[in-house]
Amino acid sequence: MSLPGVAGATAGASAGAGTLRRAGGGAARFLARGDGLVGFAILLVFVVIAALPDLFVGPLEDVTTATGQPLAPPDFANLFGTDELGRSMLNLTVHAARISMTIGLMATVITIVVGAVVGIVSGFVGGAVDAILMRISDFFLVLPTVVLALILAPVMLDVIGADAELFGIRSTLLVIVVVIGLTSWATTARVIRSQVLSLKERMFVDRARVIGAGPGHIMWRHILPNVVNLIVAQAVLTFAGAVFTETTLAFIGLGDPSAPSWGQILNAAQAAGAPGLGAWWYIAPPAVCVVLVVLSFTLVGNALDDVLNPKSGGRR
Amino acid sequence: MTTGISGRRQWPLPKQAVPGAPLLAVEDLSVRFRMPGGPSVKAVDGVSFGLDDGEALGIAGESGCGKTTTALSLVQLLPGNGRISAGSVKLFGIDLVPKTERQLARYRWREISIVFQGAMNALNPVRRIGEQIAEPIEVRLGQAREASRKRAGELLELVGIPRQRATAYPHELSGGMRQRAMIAMALACDPAIVIGDEPTTALDVMVQAQILKLLEQLRRDLGLSLILITHDLSVIAETCDRTMVMYAGRVAEEGPVRRVFTAPRHPYTAKLLSSFPNIRADRRTLGIIPGQPPDLRTPPPGCRFAPRCSEAMPQCTTEVPPEVRFADGVRVACHLFPPGTPGSLPGTPGRAAGAPRALAGGVS
Repeated sequence: MSLPGVAGATAGASAGAGTLRRAGGGAARFLARGDGLVGFAILLVFVVIAALPDLFVGPLEDVTTATGQPLAPPDFANLFGTDELGRSMLNLTVHAARISMTIGLMATVITIVVGAVVGIVSGFVGGAVDAILMRISDFFLVLPTVVLALILAPVMLDVIGADAELFGIRSTLLVIVVVIGLTSWATTARVIRSQVLSLKERMFVDRARVIGAGPGHIMWRHILPNVVNLIVAQAVLTFAGAVFTETTLAFIGLGDPSAPSWGQILNAAQAAGAPGLGAWWYIAPPAVCVVLVVLSFTLVGNALDDVLNPKSGGRR
Repeated sequence: MTTGISGRRQWPLPKQAVPGAPLLAVEDLSVRFRMPGGPSVKAVDGVSFGLDDGEALGIAGESGCGKTTTALSLVQLLPGNGRISAGSVKLFGIDLVPKTERQLARYRWREISIVFQGAMNALNPVRRIGEQIAEPIEVRLGQAREASRKRAGELLELVGIPRQRATAYPHELSGGMRQRAMIAMALACDPAIVIGDEPTTALDVMVQAQILKLLEQLRRDLGLSLILITHDLSVIAETCDRTMVMYAGRVAEEGPVRRVFTAPRHPYTAKLLSSFPNIRADRRTLGIIPGQPPDLRTPPPGCRFAPRCSEAMPQCTTEVPPEVRFADGVRVACHLFPPGTPGSLPGTPGRAAGAPRALAGGVS
């Protein structure tokens, strides 16, 4: 599976009727901002290497195709050094980008779609619907991520089989996506609901009702465009959190050993005793990648927030 | 479909319309608001009035006298705790009061639309004004997006905004332009009646004048009927044919603007007029009306203005004054003008008898 543009994902998740058209017109303003441009550039690099890893570093190395010495420090043959099996760290890190970012992306899409729908419906409809949805979200709000993952992983693997695949992603990784989605949608729903509660009292909602618009129309055409900036901000935070969570879960051994992610590499480094052996090059590349992706997402999110909000900046 | 905005009545009359019935006849309308743990508020109490095709009626009065409630109750847009407790609202002879929400939807915006107070709040801040003006056309009339956008452009031109501005967001427009956009939206479905709820209140006088001129011109060109709610008597003097002065939920005086404003009969109308600056009168100070409007949970028996009235007589505090109609088209509810006063029309005892049709006919 090739990654769709990650920047497009946040916009896709928040596809309000008027939003996409606005996003097109705002592209120039977005790129004119220094932080947005830097974030976008970093993200673009990661998206490209995640989409086409073979083009840059060749196919994923395994024990049989490894070329270097075990745990060799960086040199000209292996720019990032090698792991305990003699595989190039550059090769591993680049290939891991696809898994890490795909998981982050899928978890973000699930979180934002579920969170936004629940938040908007709950806040707008109110009454019993609101009470029920919020009690459910309370339940998911207090679920601890790691514990849930430990319980869900064997259950899900048993139900769908460990070798099942979805979009080329093994079910072990899907567990991680589901767990992140389950534990983070409730926060998004709460944040959006609180904004919707204030929005639905605004006069333009009354006006839409008078015109004869139904609740669905009002939620889609009037409420959603007003919470897009919240959704984008939440998407960015969720993506950053999802990459972290994936790293954590892979580190404690819930990842897929045959598909390296950044967390998986860190897990392997720990198992090989890299910190004790002073093999910093085993730890640094995946760690720096995680930080860079999260940082770039934050920068892009900031800039998008400004560009998508017609009131801030861009006055003609 | 998108041509000829100026043509009268593009849509057929509702099927139930009574032939020959007046455009709007409100009789004995009463609205109550339930209050938590207390008596309900009688915000509107036995109000009758009529509106003819192409006529402009100005409803005047101070804050809280029931102007807006009266207008909003025509299409039952009252807040959740308010309801019509008595009376009828007949549009083309069809009584709207017993209609369900679903049935009322047919009349809202298509027959009676509203220019809301404070255009900034009534416009969605993150959607382009063109889209918002097109919205009632899409939702109400079920037209395709392209056609409704095209018509939104025409409506913008009609209210004096270049159609290129359809892509602007509300915050990019001036206050006057926003109000124009609201007017364009109110005209979207070619309604029979437009209610202007303080349409010029938040605007400076220059822009106020422009908006009033626009309303006047639209009324002439499109044959609209207007109900203008305002506390600014000069607005009514400038744009309306008839005025209805309300006090504490009741009609104090109603009639042709010229008659009511030059020779007010009700003491409240007189006081209200004297509290406005007059460029021709040699007056250094403005009149004030002492006291406060009554608490509508427990309105005073008799005339509601009696406690503040300089002309109050003993019977004013005990008996509700009947509405008396005069030959010049004015209708007054005051004990100073009991039935049988010289100039009054005979056979008009009781409040509900203020038959709007006959009254409007008597004007011309």
